[in-house]
Amino acid sequence: MAAAPPEKILKDLADLWVTEGKQEVGEAAHGVLRACTMTLIVITEDREDPADLGETIAALMPEHPARTIVIRLTGAGERSIAQRVFAQCWMPFGQRRQICCEQVEITCSDASLGDVPSVVLPLEVPDLPVFLWCRSPRLLGMAEFPALAAMARRVVVDSGALADAPAALRRLADEAAHGMLLGDLAWTRLTRWRQTLAQIFEDPRHAARLTGPARITVCDAGAVTTQALYMGAWMAGALDAAGIGATVHIRTKAQETFAELECGDFHARLERQDDHLVATVDGLSQCTLLPKPDDYLLLREELGIVHRDPVFSSTLASAARFAYATD
Amino acid sequence: MPQENPFQDPLRFERRVPPCAVVIFGANGDLTKRKLLPALYRLAYDRRLAPGFAIVGTSRTPLSDDQFRDKMKEAVAAFSEDTKLDEDLWKTFAGGLHYVAGDIGDAALYQRIGEKLAHLDQAHQTGGNVLFYLSTQPSQYALAAQGIGAAGLQHGAGWRRLVVEKPFGHDLASARELSDRLHEVFDESAIFRIDHYLGKETVQNILAFRFGNGIFEPLWNRRYINHIEITAAESIGVEGRGAYYQEAGALADMIQNHLLQVMATIAMEPCASFRATSVRDERSKLLRSMKPMTPDEIRQNSVAGQYGPARIGGEDVPGFRQEPGVNPASTTDTYAAVTLSVENWRWAGVPFYVRTGKRLPKRVTEIAIHFNQAPLAIFEGELADGTPNLLIVRIQPEEGISLKFLSKRPGAGMKLRPVSMDFNYGSSFGERSPSAYETLLLDALLDDATLYTRQDMVEASWAVVEPIQNVWREESVDFPNYAAGTWGPDAADAMLARRGHTWRKP
Repeated sequence: MAAAPPEKILKDLADLWVTEGKQEVGEAAHGVLRACTMTLIVITEDREDPADLGETIAALMPEHPARTIVIRLTGAGERSIAQRVFAQCWMPFGQRRQICCEQVEITCSDASLGDVPSVVLPLEVPDLPVFLWCRSPRLLGMAEFPALAAMARRVVVDSGALADAPAALRRLADEAAHGMLLGDLAWTRLTRWRQTLAQIFEDPRHAARLTGPARITVCDAGAVTTQALYMGAWMAGALDAAGIGATVHIRTKAQETFAELECGDFHARLERQDDHLVATVDGLSQCTLLPKPDDYLLLREELGIVHRDPVFSSTLASAARFAYATD
Repeated sequence: MPQENPFQDPLRFERRVPPCAVVIFGANGDLTKRKLLPALYRLAYDRRLAPGFAIVGTSRTPLSDDQFRDKMKEAVAAFSEDTKLDEDLWKTFAGGLHYVAGDIGDAALYQRIGEKLAHLDQAHQTGGNVLFYLSTQPSQYALAAQGIGAAGLQHGAGWRRLVVEKPFGHDLASARELSDRLHEVFDESAIFRIDHYLGKETVQNILAFRFGNGIFEPLWNRRYINHIEITAAESIGVEGRGAYYQEAGALADMIQNHLLQVMATIAMEPCASFRATSVRDERSKLLRSMKPMTPDEIRQNSVAGQYGPARIGGEDVPGFRQEPGVNPASTTDTYAAVTLSVENWRWAGVPFYVRTGKRLPKRVTEIAIHFNQAPLAIFEGELADGTPNLLIVRIQPEEGISLKFLSKRPGAGMKLRPVSMDFNYGSSFGERSPSAYETLLLDALLDDATLYTRQDMVEASWAVVEPIQNVWREESVDFPNYAAGTWGPDAADAMLARRGHTWRKP
């Protein structure tokens, strides 16, 4: 069985900086600057393209410099765990000094998952936030998940990758109720939609027309998805907080992606049309670009939130209640 | 019926501008092209502006809306440093650009602006909200404000605000007079005096550094701090602005506004909250605590300089008097250094050395806080008497904060050497920082005056600077007194040497 003692990894990390420093010699040397604002633990399947993940992490580092610990799950097999360390460096435009972040890669079989916390916990950078990005949907259902999640202050998952949306939301709501600080990329994908809806009500004349009761209709390409449930729950929750009752309808027949709010004679609709988001209020439309957000953009937003996200927390709880109703 | 937007999520949504129109006076000028339009376009790029956002440009040059749009498109393409011109976005943005030609002293101009605003309110649903931006010659500020007032444009269905660029007068009396004229039309709460230094991320970070952390504030006083240097050095000359610059000079152009505001930020008392009134009250209080000097004190504690010709990097560089548009006998200061003191319990006896100049060896703006030496030297060697700790706040370039302290050199014996612990803004936050104008325009549109200068601050600054100007005017200095590419006149070194200090070479 291969092993990855944390002392060895820590020594490799220290040696890494000595090596990086030695590469910068001579009069033109400006040294290497180590940057770190967090520990980012990424759990992924070994079969996933390492280049894709590598590019995402490299893109994140200038904005969220981190000691990144990538745990690759090799699946079934005997207990095995292995590691390597390397640096992720870049040269900011117009500057002469390289900035580098550390990356540790640990490969382990399912049977060794229980050993992972004992390897990873000593590697976390003290006093800085720890994020866990769980890219493996099957891990959420495994017995080891709570122990792995407990290594981090905040756990980011993607409920959109799970087959049964109502069940996924109930599971996440349950974890949140037990104190896990969660982020969900399915929720992050809604930020542009939510922001566009909020912008409509920056005009107080529109807000003044919300005299209730309201009807909310959400459709996500004809399926009950966690995104559709989140959107409906968030809109209803926001209106409820403003004293306006609302009913939520998740449409599963139309092959469209939209969210609609009707309140008396007020009517607002957000609709995806190819790469655009069209916001229509009382028949007047405005079109903005809505490119499909990639992992980099989604993680960039999530890593900026260190503490509890109150709007997400309350939406998750009510979306899980909707999920019961849709069963 | 909700009183506020029910769909807010401040943790994730950026602050957004409500529907409104911005009227720019001097829309054909350099500031509009280089700073204002690129900043407003960037706000649109970041989706910070409301869908119906509109801009009305005005100046004397006759232009159609389409010609104005073309000019502004060129400006955005040329001067947006890190924002690409997106054709689709530009189309939407340009749809909100309008132009009204006219003379700033002509009442008919304001009637036409009023008609345009009424039309925009209908077509763009701006809610009657208007921000007037005076990007004109300073001599036209009062004229423009009074034109707005005579046409009744300062009132409307929504809010009305006025942004004024520096200089706010050329001495205390003219600053007060300008203020009186503006106040005839706008309430002080609706006047936003812009000082773009305060919009810089690192200047704002001073507040975060001082009041967001618990460890620095206990040291932030005369017991631990020996003296403070504030340096704003430029390596370039007047770059075609000779005619303007020779009327202003370094003292009025930089110290009276930018550097005194920076000094107020670094030295002010902690504010009770991060609300505009609270922050500005403390800044103002600090400026009012600065001691205006007597003529004798001014002679001891200030140095004027003007650069002469030199050869830099193998190229001949003209002196100030040889610059285009400059009087060959000009006595304008292109360098100013002043020792200031703050008369309060926190800072009594701590000198603040403030200097600025053109054609200095490098472009750098920084604050150097020199701490007292350790009270007892217990180590032997060349640094036995102690090298004081130094905290450097770098405002530009390579923004960040460094702390210098002594450390043992590896090896036998107890030899010390200074080392630096660096926080680099660019490496810890790789994301793009907004330009000062983006920050300040957004703030004005959102009615947040925290980073804007208030009239009492302007007057307090002039109360300190004007006596220095008067003494400098009365006493002729033998200019030029420093060569381009050097750190200023010898007299500036002598000024610090009298207190046993030396300027830091950034």
